[in-house]
Amino acid sequence: MNTSDSEEDSYNERSALVQSESPTIPSYNQDHDMSLPQETDSKRRRPVSSGLDEPGPVERERASTPDGEEEELTLKYGAKHVIMLFIPVTLCMVVVVATIKSVSFYTEKSSQRLIYTPFEEDPNSVGQRLLNSFLNTIVMISVIVVMTIILVVLYKYRCYKFIHGWLILSSLMLLFWFSFMYLGEVFKTYNVAMDYPTLVMIIWNFGVVGMICIHWKGPLRLQQAYLIVISALMALIFIKYLPEWSAWVILGAISIYDLIAVLCPKGPLRMLVETAQERNEPIFPALIYSLPCNLDIARAQEGVESEDDAAQGGRRRYSAEEDLEEDRGVKLGLGDFIFYSVLVGKAAATGGDWNTTLACFVAILIGLCLTLLLLAIFKKALPALPISITFGLVFYFSTDNLVRPFMDSLAAHQYYI
Amino acid sequence: MDLSRVFFTGNSTMNLERMPNEEKLSLCRRYYLGGFAFLPFLWLVNVLWFFKEAFLKPAYTEQPQIKSYIKKSALGLILWVAVLTTWITIFQHFRARWGEVGDYLSFTIPLGTA
Repeated sequence: MNTSDSEEDSYNERSALVQSESPTIPSYNQDHDMSLPQETDSKRRRPVSSGLDEPGPVERERASTPDGEEEELTLKYGAKHVIMLFIPVTLCMVVVVATIKSVSFYTEKSSQRLIYTPFEEDPNSVGQRLLNSFLNTIVMISVIVVMTIILVVLYKYRCYKFIHGWLILSSLMLLFWFSFMYLGEVFKTYNVAMDYPTLVMIIWNFGVVGMICIHWKGPLRLQQAYLIVISALMALIFIKYLPEWSAWVILGAISIYDLIAVLCPKGPLRMLVETAQERNEPIFPALIYSLPCNLDIARAQEGVESEDDAAQGGRRRYSAEEDLEEDRGVKLGLGDFIFYSVLVGKAAATGGDWNTTLACFVAILIGLCLTLLLLAIFKKALPALPISITFGLVFYFSTDNLVRPFMDSLAAHQYYI
Repeated sequence: MDLSRVFFTGNSTMNLERMPNEEKLSLCRRYYLGGFAFLPFLWLVNVLWFFKEAFLKPAYTEQPQIKSYIKKSALGLILWVAVLTTWITIFQHFRARWGEVGDYLSFTIPLGTA
């Protein structure tokens, strides 16, 4: 299947970014324009932002309030976020691994390739294969860079309708076409007869309710579930259609790109975030996984800051409290989910045994922890991919090549350690 | 249309606690009406989501209407479940016997059975 551009778009859309909501009440900020973005700041790309992101002046202001309490709340809050993020990431990976292990379709090599990886990998010559995978990676990354830049330009020139339409199209494709394929393969694997009328009902319901939950209003849990499912579907498509070695090189290259795009001053993702902040707008919540708000901590911090609220107008205060409760919390973009799952899924598909898969899984979670820790320290947007993917790759290759033969020969000699 | 507002409201946590009652009623009503487009799943979501609102909360002005929508959604849902169950049972049982029509209707045909 030569997938169309929109798949790439949808992947791009979902290259995730974590955004954290600032717990600061907008009333805190002297600057009228900057206040709301602190709570509504969201990004589409991979940066992970601190759950406690605060603008400069607010930080200094806040320093005057009891610091000890705040530090403690900050840390407790941060720790809770880490745990809360583990669950969806784990769920996504579990879905992908379960599918890979049971439905053989996703591990069968097909002659079709994505148009983004035009060079075929020849299994005979190592050098040629390596070269081709690098070339594939270059093609893929340049496509991604171009897409990102187009996105930033569109956003800058306020072509919201276009972006909105693009998003809807890509989620349509994910929710209907890919889930149709997925269901078909699952039924074939389990040798179940399925008729068209029932199938149409299932796909129709699944897709429409998904569109409603993601792009309009729906229960938060259901929205989270749908986001996990579409990330898993996307990851499965990548696992199936990316050639072996190219996939690993692409994973590495994507994390480097993520690092550059988010942290460099002229990086497209950073520009996107800053533009959104300037305009005081949230960015495309359809592509962000948000955690339920943390009411207790929100209330506690409200208490700490209440004396400063008095300076602000009543209306502001109300919206601040409301937004405070709602927007508090780290948000992780979908691209992160997708690439984590691609890594673990590939490990499950090619690694052969569970050691490798579990090692990669643990590596990714550790990377996520570290990223969130850095987030709490630096308090600004950070890329969520590099650390996790690096650990994941290191663990995969070392487990596959060092640990596995070791465990195998130990088992062969019945030697328990 | 102010897209930023659309995005914002779309993203505002779907926490029913913080929605004003009229909004809840409107949302419930829309989910109910939407279910008529062959969407029993939407009715299911409606029932589950608003159940607490309709039955377990202290009364407020819009509650009776929300209750009626929930009840109607539940009714529709039960109807659809009955229809689908009947159809699936019939299909699975008689598929092999229908020959060509059975194959035509099938999306996947199990291997190794008659």
